[in-house]
Order: sequence, then C-alpha cells, then structure tokens
Amino acid sequence: MDLQEAQTAVTRILHDASSQFQRMPGSAIILRYIKSSYQNDPVRSAIELFLFLFAVRYMLAPSYSTQKKVKLSEEEIDELVDDWTPEPLVAPPTSFEEMETEKRAVIVGPTGPKSKLSNGRTVTNLASYNFYNFTSNESLKEKAITTLRTYGVGPCGPPGFYGTQDVHMKTEEDVAAHLGTPACIIYAQSFSTISSVIPSFSKRGDIIVADRAVNFAVRKGIQISRSTVRWYDHGDMEDLENVLKKVTKEQAKKPLTRRFIITEGMFENIGDVSDLPKLVELKLKYKFRLILDETWSYGVLGRTGRGLTEAQNVDASEVDMIIGSLSGPLSAAGGFCAASREVVEHQRISSASYTYSAALPAMLSTTASETIALLQEQPEILTGLRDNIKAMRAQLDPRSDWVRCTSMVDNPILILVLKAEVVASKNLSTQDQNELFQDIVDECLVNNVLITRLKAYPLAQGVHPRDQGWQPQPALKVCVTSGLTKKETEKAGTIIRHAITKVLKARK
Amino acid sequence: MPLDAKDPRRRRSSSLVYTEPPESLEQLSDQSALPNLNAEWVNAKGAWVIHFVLILIGKILFDIMPGVSQETSWTLTNISYTAGSYLMFHYVRGVPFDFNSGAYDNLNMWEQIDNGDQYTPAKKFLMFVPIALFLVSTHYTHYDLTYFVINTMATIAVVIPKLPSAHRIRFSIFSPPPDDA
Repeated sequence: MDLQEAQTAVTRILHDASSQFQRMPGSAIILRYIKSSYQNDPVRSAIELFLFLFAVRYMLAPSYSTQKKVKLSEEEIDELVDDWTPEPLVAPPTSFEEMETEKRAVIVGPTGPKSKLSNGRTVTNLASYNFYNFTSNESLKEKAITTLRTYGVGPCGPPGFYGTQDVHMKTEEDVAAHLGTPACIIYAQSFSTISSVIPSFSKRGDIIVADRAVNFAVRKGIQISRSTVRWYDHGDMEDLENVLKKVTKEQAKKPLTRRFIITEGMFENIGDVSDLPKLVELKLKYKFRLILDETWSYGVLGRTGRGLTEAQNVDASEVDMIIGSLSGPLSAAGGFCAASREVVEHQRISSASYTYSAALPAMLSTTASETIALLQEQPEILTGLRDNIKAMRAQLDPRSDWVRCTSMVDNPILILVLKAEVVASKNLSTQDQNELFQDIVDECLVNNVLITRLKAYPLAQGVHPRDQGWQPQPALKVCVTSGLTKKETEKAGTIIRHAITKVLKARK
Repeated sequence: MPLDAKDPRRRRSSSLVYTEPPESLEQLSDQSALPNLNAEWVNAKGAWVIHFVLILIGKILFDIMPGVSQETSWTLTNISYTAGSYLMFHYVRGVPFDFNSGAYDNLNMWEQIDNGDQYTPAKKFLMFVPIALFLVSTHYTHYDLTYFVINTMATIAVVIPKLPSAHRIRFSIFSPPPDDA
C-alpha cells in the first residue's frame, strides 16, 4: 500500500515538474538541445553537463588576489607610522670624514702643475689627472673658445633629439680611427658610460664573468643589468678559465644566453693592467664577449695613447667593446664606446645614458678631437710623461721601506700601498691605514706637495662589511704630470717619501 | 627579504612537479617599474570580440575547404583555437618587449594577467570561450568517438592550466627545474 502511494506521489510530482518546465520560456530550446546532443550516449552528455556546470561555477566564483598581502588595522597602521624614524638620506659624517673635510685643500684659480690654494700658498699639484698638462695649452683653449662662439655652450638635447652636432660625429670618427675600430659612440659622462653600456646589452638571465677588482662604475652597470654574475680573482687568468669552464658546463643544456667577460684595462683601484692577449684567447675559446673598461688606460698606455690594445699589441677589433674616457688626461669630458658598427648602432637607441642625457658640449668634443690628434702627432708627449713617471717611481718604490707601488710602470697614477710586513708588524686595520695615509697627505701639503688618498667606493646601504665583497687596500694616490720638470718631480717624490717615513716612524 | 634572495625551485626527487618560487624584491621592483603591457590588453573589450571573430573566420575557412565534413571542420576550428590559446597563454613565458628588464621571464601570460589574481572578468571570459566552443561544436555535429575524444582532450588541455590550483605549477618531465644562480 505504502509503495503504491509513494509511486503515485512520485509520478504526480514528476508530471507537475514537467508541466512547469514546459510552461517555462525557452524550455523547448533546452529540450531540443539535450535531445539533439544526447546522441544515445549518456557518458557524453555527462561530460558535457560536467563541463557546463564547471563553467557556471567558475563564472560565479568571487575573484581573489594571489599576492600575499598583510592586512593591517587602522590602529596598527598608525602605530607603524608613529614608530617609523626615517634614516637620513646621507649618513652623518664620521669624525674621520669631518677631519678630512676640514683639512681638504681648496684650489683657487686655474688648476695646473703648480696650483694656488685658498690659504695663499702655491703647491705642486700631484692630485689631478692632468697628466699631459693640456689644461695650460693655449692653442687648445683658443680652439675651445672658437667652438663656444660658434656652437654655444650645451647642445640642449639628448643625442637622438637634436643633440648631435657635426663635432660629435667628428670626435666619434677620430676615436674610432685612433683605436682602429669600425665605429664609436660618444657619451656625455665618463662615469655613466660603462654603467650604461653593460645594461644595454646584458639583461636578466644573461651571464657576466667579471674581475673582482673592477671599479664602482662597472659594478653599478652590472647591478643595473640584473644579469647573473660570476666573479674571478683579480688578474688570475687560471681562475677566469675555471669560471668560464664551469659556466659553459652549467649552461650547456639551457637556452642560449648572452655571455660577457668584463674587466678593466688598467685598474682604477690597483693600477695594474689586464693580460689582454690571454683574455682574447679565453673569450674566443669559451665563446664569450669581452667588454674592456679602458677608462684609465685610454690616452695613457701605448705608443700613441691607444690604451691597452696598443700596449699589448692586440687588434682593437678583437675586443668586442672598448669603453674609454675623454675626461682626465684628454682634458675634455665624456666617455666613448668603440666597437663594431652593429654594437654602436644598438646603443644609440637602447643605452639609457646616451638616450636620456644631453649630449656633450661642442667645445669639449672639439677639445677631445684636438688632444687625440696631439697624442697621435707628438708621441714625445707620452714619452715625456713616462720619464717623469720613472723619476717619481725611483723615489718611491724600491727606495721607501714602508710602501710599494702596485701600479704598472707606465701608469701615471702611482697607487702606493703599505707593505704587507709593515701592516703586520704594526697591526694596522683598514681604518688605521686610511688615517695614516691622511696624515701623510697632510704632511706633504705642509711641504707644498698636493697628493691624495685612494677613496674606495662606498658600500651599499645596509650591507654588512662582511658581505661587501672585494674592497681595495687603502692607498696613496700620486698623479704624475708632464707639466713638471724631471727635477721638480724628483723633488716632490723625495718630499712624499720623507713624509711617509716621518708619519710611519711616529706610529708605534 | 634580501635583495636578490632566491628560493630554489625545490621538488622531491621523485616528483615531476615544482612550484615557481615567489619573486625577489629586485624582480618585484622591476615588475612594477612599468605597467605590464603584455598582459593588460586582455581586459580591453576589443580583445574579447576578437576571439569570436577569429573563431568565425577559422570556421568559415575550414568550411570552404573542399571535402571537409562538418565534424572535421568543427574539430579543426576547436583544435586551432585551443592550440593557439595554449601557446599564447600557457606555453610562452616572459614579455616579448623589454619593458621590465625581464622581471616576468618565469611567468606565462595567464599568470601575468591581472597580476595573478584569480576569477577576474578577463580570466572568466577566457575560460568561457573554449568551453562554449566545445559545447557548441558537439551540438551541431555527430562526432564519432575519435572526434569526440580529440575535441574533449583539446578543451581540457586549455582548461586545466587555467585553474587557480595550477597557478605557478610547472611540470618538468624531461629537464630538471632551472636554477638561476
């Protein structure tokens, strides 16, 4: 009885539902759809129904974020804001820095081998990169003034936007012709040349193998490029080869990336030079590109100042990119990248420093062309400087019991570091050495010789000294100039040597 | 978080699946340097209409080919749409232009859309299109078993990677996870 009742109830309910369904608008379409797609296969219909239901569920789901976000209440936000004390943009000067600022010599009037200080004394200036004394060359000055009258001061635009003038193109050709590369591109600032060239070629995922002792500008460039960096010990070609081998092995199964070796021609912080023939051999063997920072060697090394390529008899086109400076010894400003035509053209649109900063003032461009011509026409300018370097070195390196010179023989910047045994016997920390060298600088200034210390690049904010990586050894920096006679250079050298001895003897 | 700390892409030795680790602070700052133009256009209305236009053009193209039955024509349309969208949204990683210094190099386009948010209107639309296409195609044809399986598989292949639970999941069957050290 129960069963029969239930059965009739179910039949009635189903009948009602079906009549309700048929009364619904569009029900006929749904029925027809189901009928036509049923095709005598319930599994198919089940799959279709499942997909349909899944789609409906997906459409109705509320959106949410996958980013991890910390939810803070108003009070918590206020509390955090109250607690926050901003770190100063520039840290307050340390007592050592304050002392240094206080004692800093200020030059009044034009700089030159003999400079007048604000306290009225005239000193022998061995702290400027005016190696060839081009700053007191009257014909260069006249040419600069003529250019100034014709072109005005600044080009008032980036090179790609009305900033390029005929003089810039001439300077580019001059540098390229001097070095023997197919093309060259001129940047407006020397520092930002290399730090812009590196990121315009090397991107995230690319590989850079660099010398541990590269200068601050190169480090900045590597950092901006976001590339994977491998370091090799300074000047150690065996270590470089091991690193290259390791990288090649690791990358063998991965998609091909760009790979670069980056090093300096003449090291800013040590003064020695790279072994270019070996570098070229390794880069060809392991299929890397070589970016050579010749900021400190261009205009200095080689018979006509072409830099490391000339000094070590390497064809400049073997180096993929040569980055050099037009400031310093060339008495102009800006930097350049000399390379193949393709490499240069790529930078004209994709190198940040070239694209976004105003072009080099025309008079500096002509000055650079003139000084490059001078170096090529009168190699005796370079030999004159080298005689002075030899004279200065003779006074310092083998003669002094306390310091040794890490610079290579033709480097006009003599980097003088304390001998290892001196550091050991007197137990000197980095800070102690810096203070000692500052005392020596002051002592030299008393005797009318202006020299300076090597100022290491600053640590990144918030980096523990332990994680800072390679740091240069504190050093004295003596910049020789051909503006002085050999006698004057020797005399200055003696004064420096005596100052070193005096300060270090006084230190117990 | 250290500036360039990287969670290694760890997986158990037997597993073929790993999860893409979160971005380092440096990558995040590069990602936010510019709006992600590679993924933003999917929210444009024109970008929605183009799906239907392309499907229609594809269908017409396959229809006018001589000797192609309705079943084959629908299957070809379905497969070409799913293959194209799989390639575009799930296979290719990174951004084809140099906007963010390669900070999106490890993410496919589906993961870049709306900054990885789930169930957003654009994602709902993109999920809706292949399912609707499949349902429509089965309705207008009499697929035999082979055709039906091919079409179902093609649809599932683009539905599964779109699931929120598949976010940042990688399969590495033939190669170990990359280590960018």
